Amino acid sequence: MPTVGPKTAARLVFHLLNRPRSEAQSLAEAILAVKDRIQLCSHCFALTEDDPCALCSDGRRDATLLCAVAEAKDIYALERTGAYRGRYHVLGGLISPMDGIGAAQLRIKELIERLAAEGPDELIIATNPNAEGEATALYLARLIAPSGVRVTRLAYGLPIGGDLDYADEVTLAKALEGRRTLS
Amino acid sequence: MRNYAALDFAPVAGLNVFVGANAQGKSNLLEAIALLGTGKSFRTARESDVVRHGLPSASITGQARVAAGSVRLSCSLNVARGALRKVYAINGRKVAYASYLGRVRVVTFVPAHLSLLTGPPALRRSLLNAALAQDSPHYYAALAAYTKFLGQKNALLRAAHPIDEALLATYDERLVAEGTTMILARRAFIAALGERALAVHRAWVGETDGTLDLSYAADVPDAVPTQDGIAAAYVARLADKRSAERSRATALVGPHRDDLVFRLNGRPLGAFGSQGQQRTAVLALKVAEYGVAEARSGEAPLLLLDDVLSELDPQRQRALLDALGSFEQAFVTTAHPVEVPAAATYRVIGAHLERVAA
Repeated sequence: MPTVGPKTAARLVFHLLNRPRSEAQSLAEAILAVKDRIQLCSHCFALTEDDPCALCSDGRRDATLLCAVAEAKDIYALERTGAYRGRYHVLGGLISPMDGIGAAQLRIKELIERLAAEGPDELIIATNPNAEGEATALYLARLIAPSGVRVTRLAYGLPIGGDLDYADEVTLAKALEGRRTLS
Repeated sequence: MRNYAALDFAPVAGLNVFVGANAQGKSNLLEAIALLGTGKSFRTARESDVVRHGLPSASITGQARVAAGSVRLSCSLNVARGALRKVYAINGRKVAYASYLGRVRVVTFVPAHLSLLTGPPALRRSLLNAALAQDSPHYYAALAAYTKFLGQKNALLRAAHPIDEALLATYDERLVAEGTTMILARRAFIAALGERALAVHRAWVGETDGTLDLSYAADVPDAVPTQDGIAAAYVARLADKRSAERSRATALVGPHRDDLVFRLNGRPLGAFGSQGQQRTAVLALKVAEYGVAEARSGEAPLLLLDDVLSELDPQRQRALLDALGSFEQAFVTTAHPVEVPAAATYRVIGAHLERVAA
C-alpha cells in the first residue's frame, strides 16, 4: 500500500484485531465494492460507478470547454477549485517513450474523436509542469492545431501569496515569459 | 557517510591539508564538502554508495559565510528499498535542488581531470556542465530539461517504426529551445575561460612553450551568436541529419556532442602535446575555472584538491598554489607530505581527524 510503512501497517493490524468482526467485514466489503463497482467512464475515462459518469451526464456543464488531464485523480484537484465548469478527458498518463508510452498507449485517439464529435471551442491541457507534461501538451497542440480548436494550457508561475524575493529564478523567469496584459 | 559514523569539523580559513595513508577517509571528507556545496558527489555516479553500509541515510550540514551573509546548508541522502532520495535544506527550510545549487561555489580538482585533454569529450562536457550549473540556475534548468528530452527522443528513435513524426518534432522543438540556451551559455563561459587560461599559461611558461588556445567546438555550427541565429542553425542541422538520426536510431545533433578543444600554437594539444604540456594546460584551465567562478559570483569559491598535488612535480605544485593564492578556503588531500603553505594540517587515520601542530 502506498505511503504505508511497516510501522503504520502493524498499527493498522493491531487496530483491526481490537475491533469487532462486523467492522472488519464491512471494511472488506467496502474494499471489494471499490473493485467491483468503480469503472471507467466510457466517455471521459474518469472513475465512476455509473456510466457515463456524473460529470459527463450533467447537462449544466459547459460543453464549449474540454480539459485534458493525465490521470483521473487530477479531475478531483480541478473540481476542488470550483473554477472550472466544463468537461474532462482523462489521457491515462503522459507520453514517455523511455517508459514505452507513446500516443497509442494513451487515450489520444479518443480525444481527437471527441473534439470532432462534440466541437468544443477550447481544449485546456492541464498536465504537470515537468518534461513529460510539457511534451505531451505540445504534442497534443501540434496534433489538434489543424482542427481549428483553440488549445491552451495551465499557466506556469508564482504561487498566490508568494513573495518575489523567495521565488526561485527559474519559476520567476517562466512567470515573466507567461506574463499577461493588464491594459 | 562513507566510513564516518559522525564527525564535527571546523576548518580554518586558508589552506586545510588532510594527510594520511590510503583508505583512511581523506577523500570522503572532500566528497562531503562537495556534496554540501553542490549537492552532488564528484566521485561516483552511484551516490547511494555515499551512505554508510547498513545504514538508511547519510547527512551533512554546514555553516558557510558567503557575500549574502551566513547560510546553513544541509544535504541528506536517504536510501529506502534500493532507491536514493536526496533532501536539501537552506537555513532549515527544505528546497528544491535548483534553489540549493550555487549557494556556495565549489571548484574541484581530481586526478581524473589530469586526463582531461586526452580523455573522451564527455569528460570535458561534464566539466562545463558542473561549472555552468553552479553559475546559473537557468543553465541547470536547461541542461536538466535537455537531458530529459534527449533521452525521450533517443527512446522514440529506437522504438518500433513507423516513428510518430509529430512527437519527434515536439522533442526537436524543445531540444532546440533548451539546447540554444546551453550553447549561448557555453560560448560565453568558454570565451572567459580561454582568456584567463591563456594569461595563466603565459605567466607560467612565457612565450617559450607557445600560446594556449581554448575553443568551443560546438556541434551546431557557429552562426550568428544570438538566440535566433543559433536556433536557426540548429534547426537546419537537424534537417541535414534527419535520415542519419533515423538509421542510426540516435540523436546526432546538439550540445550533447559539443567539445572543448585545447591548442598550443594552433596544434591540438590532446593529440600532439607532451604529457608535461598537457598537464600545464589542465592546470591553467583549472586556475581559469576558479577565476571565472570568482569573477562571476563575486566571491572566492571553495577549492577542493583531491590527491592531485602528489601527481605533480614540485614546480607545478608551487605554480598551482601560487596561482590560486587568492583562495579564502581550500581543502587538499595528500598521501605523501607535500611542501605547501598549509594554514592547518590534519592527520586522517581510520575516519579520525587530528590536527597536527604546525
